[in-house]
Amino acid sequence: MLWLYLHFPHLVLDHIRRTREDQGALVVVEGSGQKVIQACPEARSQGIRSGMRLKTAISLAPDLGMVRADETQEARILEDQARWLYRYAAHIVLVPPDGLLAEIGSLQKLYGGLPAVWQTVEQGLNERQLNAWIGIGYTPLAARLIARAGKGECTADKGHIQRNLSQMPLLAAEFNEKACTRLQRLGLNTLGEVFELPPGELARRLSPELLAYIQKIQGTRPDPRTPWQPPHSFRQQADFVQEIEHTQGLLFPLQRMLAELEEDLCWRQQDTDSLRLVLRHRHSEPTRLQIRTSGPEHRADHFLNLIRLRLEQHSLSAPVISMVLLVKRFLSREAPSGQDLLGETQDLNEAWHTLISRLQARLGDQALRQLSPQADHRPERAWSASEVLRKTGTPLVPAAELPRRPLWLLKGPQPLTEAPVTWFSGPERISGGWWDGQRVHRDYYIAQLNSGQLAWVFRDAREGWFVHGWFG
Amino acid sequence: MSELLNTLMQDARVWQGHRHTQTTQPAEPTGYQVLDNQLGGLGWPRGALSECLLDAPGIGELHLLLPLMQRVCGEGKSVFWLNPPHTPYAPALAREGVNLDQVVLIHTEDEGDFLWTLENCLRSPVTGLVMAWPGKLASREVRRLQLAAEAGSNVCVLFRERRYAEQNSPAALRLELEPGEQQDLKVNVLKRRGSWPGQRCSLAMAQRADLSFRETTRVVRGPWSGSTG
Repeated sequence: MLWLYLHFPHLVLDHIRRTREDQGALVVVEGSGQKVIQACPEARSQGIRSGMRLKTAISLAPDLGMVRADETQEARILEDQARWLYRYAAHIVLVPPDGLLAEIGSLQKLYGGLPAVWQTVEQGLNERQLNAWIGIGYTPLAARLIARAGKGECTADKGHIQRNLSQMPLLAAEFNEKACTRLQRLGLNTLGEVFELPPGELARRLSPELLAYIQKIQGTRPDPRTPWQPPHSFRQQADFVQEIEHTQGLLFPLQRMLAELEEDLCWRQQDTDSLRLVLRHRHSEPTRLQIRTSGPEHRADHFLNLIRLRLEQHSLSAPVISMVLLVKRFLSREAPSGQDLLGETQDLNEAWHTLISRLQARLGDQALRQLSPQADHRPERAWSASEVLRKTGTPLVPAAELPRRPLWLLKGPQPLTEAPVTWFSGPERISGGWWDGQRVHRDYYIAQLNSGQLAWVFRDAREGWFVHGWFG
Repeated sequence: MSELLNTLMQDARVWQGHRHTQTTQPAEPTGYQVLDNQLGGLGWPRGALSECLLDAPGIGELHLLLPLMQRVCGEGKSVFWLNPPHTPYAPALAREGVNLDQVVLIHTEDEGDFLWTLENCLRSPVTGLVMAWPGKLASREVRRLQLAAEAGSNVCVLFRERRYAEQNSPAALRLELEPGEQQDLKVNVLKRRGSWPGQRCSLAMAQRADLSFRETTRVVRGPWSGSTG
């Protein structure tokens, strides 16, 4: 098996830098806030080194952006990287805090050789503006050591890899400190010299664990790794160095997140109709927004338009420190076709979804309603309003057998205040509802009022007169 | 005459009041031959605003639009009802052959939302007809809607109170609606494009309550007198 190892020397920095519009100096400081752990190229050019005290760093670069190291955040960012790498390789192993392993031996045929695999991965890294050192080896540990030493080469030649490993100094081989000193006292300086020692001697003089480690590098002892399984949902997070106070500032990072979503949906061959956006604040509860489209959708610019509309309506309650985009609902995607059976073009269908989504985003889901008749004798229950859905293929049968009803129904019966001028038809007795407690017992008439309006009036069981509709 | 006016005259781009030129603006027939004739054989203008001015609902104003509604739904386009004063009654619409899948009811909270929604509906190619009941509209806002309507080539009918008849409006067609004696609808053309307004006609609307046979004696007794004494 051939392994490819990606070592991210400053993953957190990369992650934060790409959500920023300005590219100022940026460092990651350790949990206690005393020391600089990682420094971006801009910071390094100003003389900041990792391991430096934070005070010194600030005096070197007064407008330094700082991020505190956080293990859970690092783990999450690493998993984000595994997610895109999963598109290229099936067998992926997370090596926290900053490494990813991928089995590429089986991919060579698919991609047409090792250089093509290498190129694909490099391109993926470039697109995401990530810095990573790549290493290839026949064991996971060998690939890791080569990558971390920055000696990665695009070759599958066993001898070459072995030579590379052998020349590696002991310090780079990640032995623990005690073992390293002991080996150096024995006069050994490179990994190759350790490989040449007989295994029995090694175990006796040093420790069985060290022998196991060396054998795992060489591949003479199995080193099983559990493959990573991608989650079924989509999740992207952007963390901000400077808090964002205006919704406008959220759009830039959103663009990139939505582009990732579009790509992810493309790979899944699926669409979605609901996005969740969580805006985290420093001191208050996070703001949760649900963005819904009226139909399956996967295009980033469409989502962005809807979110922009939504954010225009929604002013931020507090500055935002991080933003999470979540998608849990996936729908199967229909292949685009020129025209469906009813002669309805795709364009019209799409325009419909665009319009309805826009309206819903600004007015809320409840503002848009579709009507349908219901099978009930009581006029107020003979119709219902439901959420708007695109329905096609229900050819309309003119329902002439339905009774004559007015086009306007009042929201509730209004008392009749004047005597109608003319009576036309009636009475039509409507009685029912004893089964659900909403009893109705009325005689309906059609009558013309003084104003010329044609009304649907009724007299109920208590002899009261009401207008229930207008013949518009 | 000035040079400019001469060229305009030569291109026949000056409308002269004494000539009734046939205009060729896009329009949808109303479905009522009498009214179409009064409107120069055209009907509801497309890509422009129309206004119906009336005092109270229930005089046949929806039936005036029903033929267009049926046609638009049949073509698979949508009919939007924006802020109607009452509930459009689904069983009655279904009985009239309106495909309810194409009918979308929208309620907006404030004026800004109303204008924004109307504009969006008008600009969309899926829209066939927009019926809107605005509360109060400034002349400037009507102008804005007129521009939106021009962008979309849809029919847009605003239902407004009759007192606005005195106000001028950029709408392309303005009809004043009044109930007639025989349950009919009297239409008074206040403004139309391409010709003088002032035409009047009366449309029979008694069929909206199955009253076409004028059989007033069908109700044996007005029960009203019995109940009120």
